[in-house]
Amino acid sequence: MICPNCGSNMSEKRKRCERCGVDLTIYKKVIRISNYNYNSGLAKAKVRDLSGAIIALRRSLDFNKKNTNARNLLGLIYYEMGEVVAALSEWVISRHIQPLDNDADEYINKVQSNPTKLDVLNQAIKRYNTALKYAKQGSDDLAIIQLKKVVSLNTHFIRAYQLLVLLHMKTGENEKAKKYLFKVGKIDVSNTLTLRYMQELESPAGKDINANPEAEQQSSITNTIIPISSYKEDKPNIMAFVNLVIGVIIGIAVTAILIIPTVKKNNPSDDNSSYTDNASAVAQLEEKDNEISTLNSEKSELKDQITKLQAQIDNTVVPDTSAYETLLSVMNLYLTELSKPESERDYKEIADTLTTIDDSQFSDTSLSLLATLRATTYPSIAEQHYETGHNLYSDGKYEEALVELSKALLLDPQDVDAVYFSARAYDRLGDKKNAITYYNKVISDFPNSKRVAEATDKLALIQ
Amino acid sequence: MINFDEEIEKFQPSLEIEQAEDVITNNDLTDMTDILKELLKGNKDNQ
Repeated sequence: MICPNCGSNMSEKRKRCERCGVDLTIYKKVIRISNYNYNSGLAKAKVRDLSGAIIALRRSLDFNKKNTNARNLLGLIYYEMGEVVAALSEWVISRHIQPLDNDADEYINKVQSNPTKLDVLNQAIKRYNTALKYAKQGSDDLAIIQLKKVVSLNTHFIRAYQLLVLLHMKTGENEKAKKYLFKVGKIDVSNTLTLRYMQELESPAGKDINANPEAEQQSSITNTIIPISSYKEDKPNIMAFVNLVIGVIIGIAVTAILIIPTVKKNNPSDDNSSYTDNASAVAQLEEKDNEISTLNSEKSELKDQITKLQAQIDNTVVPDTSAYETLLSVMNLYLTELSKPESERDYKEIADTLTTIDDSQFSDTSLSLLATLRATTYPSIAEQHYETGHNLYSDGKYEEALVELSKALLLDPQDVDAVYFSARAYDRLGDKKNAITYYNKVISDFPNSKRVAEATDKLALIQ
Repeated sequence: MINFDEEIEKFQPSLEIEQAEDVITNNDLTDMTDILKELLKGNKDNQ
């Protein structure tokens, strides 16, 4: 801190100068007030309250002209508002007060480094002054032309905008005036003059101020007197509904008249060409009828065929697979016996099984196979049964003998001895009827046999 | 209500760059500290 009296450096905390002994209390307060105003101006500038910032910064410099920060900021604000000369003046003074480490140097250099722009800004100032001269002389149109050029050269020249607004208001072009006022408002939000013009434009009285002051006065009076209407409850708007209905009817009518015929015309099913040839249609119909009758007769024929075929199916005897299984088992047994030595072969089981087989269930091939098997097995087994039956007969076991003899006859019906001894067994058992039958069979079926004489004798005895 | 003629009269010509030197030279830079100095000087002379 420098003593304002003697110019010597001194401590901030000292209340008196150590060199000259002057009381510095008031001086310190003055410096503090200057700084306070600078801070206030800076805060306002940050929110684009440029007019407010100028007031605060000017006050700051009134208290301390050496407050270079305040002066530099003031110059910046002037520059922003289009007041180039004022800005340069502040920066030059600032540099004079503080030659070293001063931001004003940078600002001045930037402005001077672009002489073209500086010249443009100067031209804008000159044109503004000319326009102001025209305006004061009453040549509003010339002034407006000049000012429009000015604001195109320097888009931040607030004073030019404000004069332009005033002239537009004077000529009744309030909308244009408002447009320029909005532009000014964006640069400086709280400019008193701008706000006053805006208020004037927004107020009803300001709208027709130039056209006819008397009419404006009258209209302001009428505007202030508002008739009080009696309270009426809103009634439902019937006309809206009626209009809706009419609209729907018109829509339907348009559809019926314009759209439906077009749709019908485009529909191929309604094409008149389909009705042009009735004769061919009748012929086609008859042809179809004939086809139907033909198909019906074919249908009845096919039904008859189905009935016949069904009957054939029903009458067809399906071979019993179990019979073939039996045949196969017999074949298996036969092959087993064949694998044995001839002396050990026993065909009895095979023969017994063969007697149970129904030949009607087999085809010709199977029957020939059966015949072969029977021809191979039956004679020996029939002989075995006969021998057994004869032995039983000899032992007096006539009933058991009949069983064996019947088996022997089953396998070999041409065995006359088996027939004869069957007759004898029945004879011994007292069954004369069967005895006579078998005796007669010997006599009739085997006339050349030696048993015929014996059978004849025995027959004579029992008759 | 604005009187346009009066309002236009309030507008002052803007300073041109050629006038900057005059402005700087004629700028009254007297501030509160200068007044204080004068006061202090006056007191000293009286004493």
